[in-house]
Amino acid sequence: MTYIEKPVVPKVVKLEEPTATERKILDMMLNTGSDIYQGACKKRGSTCKDEYRKVCGVAYMDPKDMAKIGVSNWDSVKVTTDWGEVTVSSVHSRDAPHEGTIFIPKGPWANVITSHETYCCCDPTYKGIYCTVERTDEPVLLMADLMRAVYKKYVEDEETIPELKSLGEMPVYKKK
Amino acid sequence: MAYEPPVTDYDEIVENGTCAFCGCNCDDLDFLIKDGHVVGVRHACRLGASKVMEDMDQRLLVPMVRDENGELQEVDWDTALDKAAELIAGSVRPIFYGWSETSIETMKHGIHLGELVGAVLDNQATICHGPSLQAVQNVGYPVATLGEVKNRADMIVYTGSNPMNSHPRHMARYSTFPRGWFRQRGRFDRTVVTMDPKYSDTAKMSDIWIGFEQNGDYGFYNAIRAALRGKEIDQDFVSGIPKEDIMELAEAMKNVQFGALYFGLGLTHTLSKQRNIDMAIEMLTDLNKYTKWVLTPMRGHFNVNGFNIFMALEMGFPYGVDFARGYPRYMNGETNTIDLLTRKECDVFMVIAADPGAHYPGGAVKHLAEIPVIQVDIHWGPSTEIADVVLPGSFIGLECAGTSYRMDGVPIYMKKAIDKPETCRDDEWIIQELHERVKKIKAKEAAVASK
Repeated sequence: MTYIEKPVVPKVVKLEEPTATERKILDMMLNTGSDIYQGACKKRGSTCKDEYRKVCGVAYMDPKDMAKIGVSNWDSVKVTTDWGEVTVSSVHSRDAPHEGTIFIPKGPWANVITSHETYCCCDPTYKGIYCTVERTDEPVLLMADLMRAVYKKYVEDEETIPELKSLGEMPVYKKK
Repeated sequence: MAYEPPVTDYDEIVENGTCAFCGCNCDDLDFLIKDGHVVGVRHACRLGASKVMEDMDQRLLVPMVRDENGELQEVDWDTALDKAAELIAGSVRPIFYGWSETSIETMKHGIHLGELVGAVLDNQATICHGPSLQAVQNVGYPVATLGEVKNRADMIVYTGSNPMNSHPRHMARYSTFPRGWFRQRGRFDRTVVTMDPKYSDTAKMSDIWIGFEQNGDYGFYNAIRAALRGKEIDQDFVSGIPKEDIMELAEAMKNVQFGALYFGLGLTHTLSKQRNIDMAIEMLTDLNKYTKWVLTPMRGHFNVNGFNIFMALEMGFPYGVDFARGYPRYMNGETNTIDLLTRKECDVFMVIAADPGAHYPGGAVKHLAEIPVIQVDIHWGPSTEIADVVLPGSFIGLECAGTSYRMDGVPIYMKKAIDKPETCRDDEWIIQELHERVKKIKAKEAAVASK
């Protein structure tokens, strides 16, 4: 077995901290980068599958931060930066504690909200971006649906996107 | 993880294959083959194994072109290649991006094609280790091969890098765990230091973890440099690290016999970019007054270093080489893919063995959604969702042979183990064929113009 469906994440323990007051929106710092689950899934080629959504469309959060906005593992959160917003699942970070910071593995979800600003140094700023995190009920999109919803390359009427049928977990093309 | 019984049902073993994943290029993989398919792989890490045991559901097997409804339609090779050649020949400012997961032999044809049409040739360094290459141009490159580190190093520093996640066999095969000529006890003879704001998987298994604050790299290296030069540090804390700890670390780094520093994207993706690496290299310059220290960037793809070395040799510049004026030009912030895309300059984008759809920031992908994209790759990925012409390539190191460069600049010939799927073609053949076809179109245009 080279791959499992979900990354192994610790169980969230709700902390009865006096400092952990409930809040609607958290001001956080976003880091993106590679992760072993993301790397294995990407290079295996399973990018259309639910597996990829489970490894890349996640925000690794500190359990204290998760308690503050009242989310548990695999709940949806909306992450917003100056460059866009995206819905991802919140999961307990293996590297916690890192209160005030979230980590989204690199991939189409993270890159909707990363900065393309290179400051003439050729490299976009993928790490250390200010963001806000809030709870949401919207589902996390599959890769193909996300690319269609965000970049709209082959969509005729942009307003119909939410009603369109999901592209699913398999490649869609017309065979000869 | 569930127990998986060993694979015993196979026809033959192909020994000493090379892994086509990260910059470690482990060349000791054994492929277990049955009926022309790989059923198992030995010695590879989780990442390498996942690439070899690929997902055939999403393997690109046939050439495809978008029809007028915006749906991909299977076509024959001639139609797809003609369509791609037509787009390239008609473009004003094309970018050929990727190359890091293909062979040097393919790049050779890529340069010919790029020169012919005046393209920008760029690779993944532009979004990962580009600043490292700029820093090397600024202040030099105290490089060593991985073998040298294995045999000699008694202190290993990982900074802004998490090899347990992105280069899983790096510590096991080259730096920390193996027994070397002068380090007979392996791990016990070495000190591992991790400098990372995150308590990463590498930090968890290091002897020393320095968790400086976010964007604190630059200040921290400067403080170590000050300590090495015998200067007093004014502040009690630098980048969140107490002054005494910095003095102690500087002293420890001075007193090793051979030190190796590996740095990753933590340095290149934060705000100070190449200045972080300038400082890390100059810190080694200072350390080299006392003892031997070397440094190597942790390159991500198996041939990302190959493109930089090959381009530097052929054209004088490592990446972001612009042929628009008929001769190679290189200027940071001017001829790099992300800048060209965010300025909306590019009009045709060809991606060879890379995935800009997944790994470019949204602002750059937005322009890709407005222009024709040609994709040469082995798997259906985020880039296929925005591609107009799709040409299925083959898997270097497994289905076709080729040369690649390891992260320390050692060239490795990757041999072939199995045959590629019948309908796919070698990357080298695809690029060569595109070159031929573009040349024909250009010759026809020239003939018409002369009349």
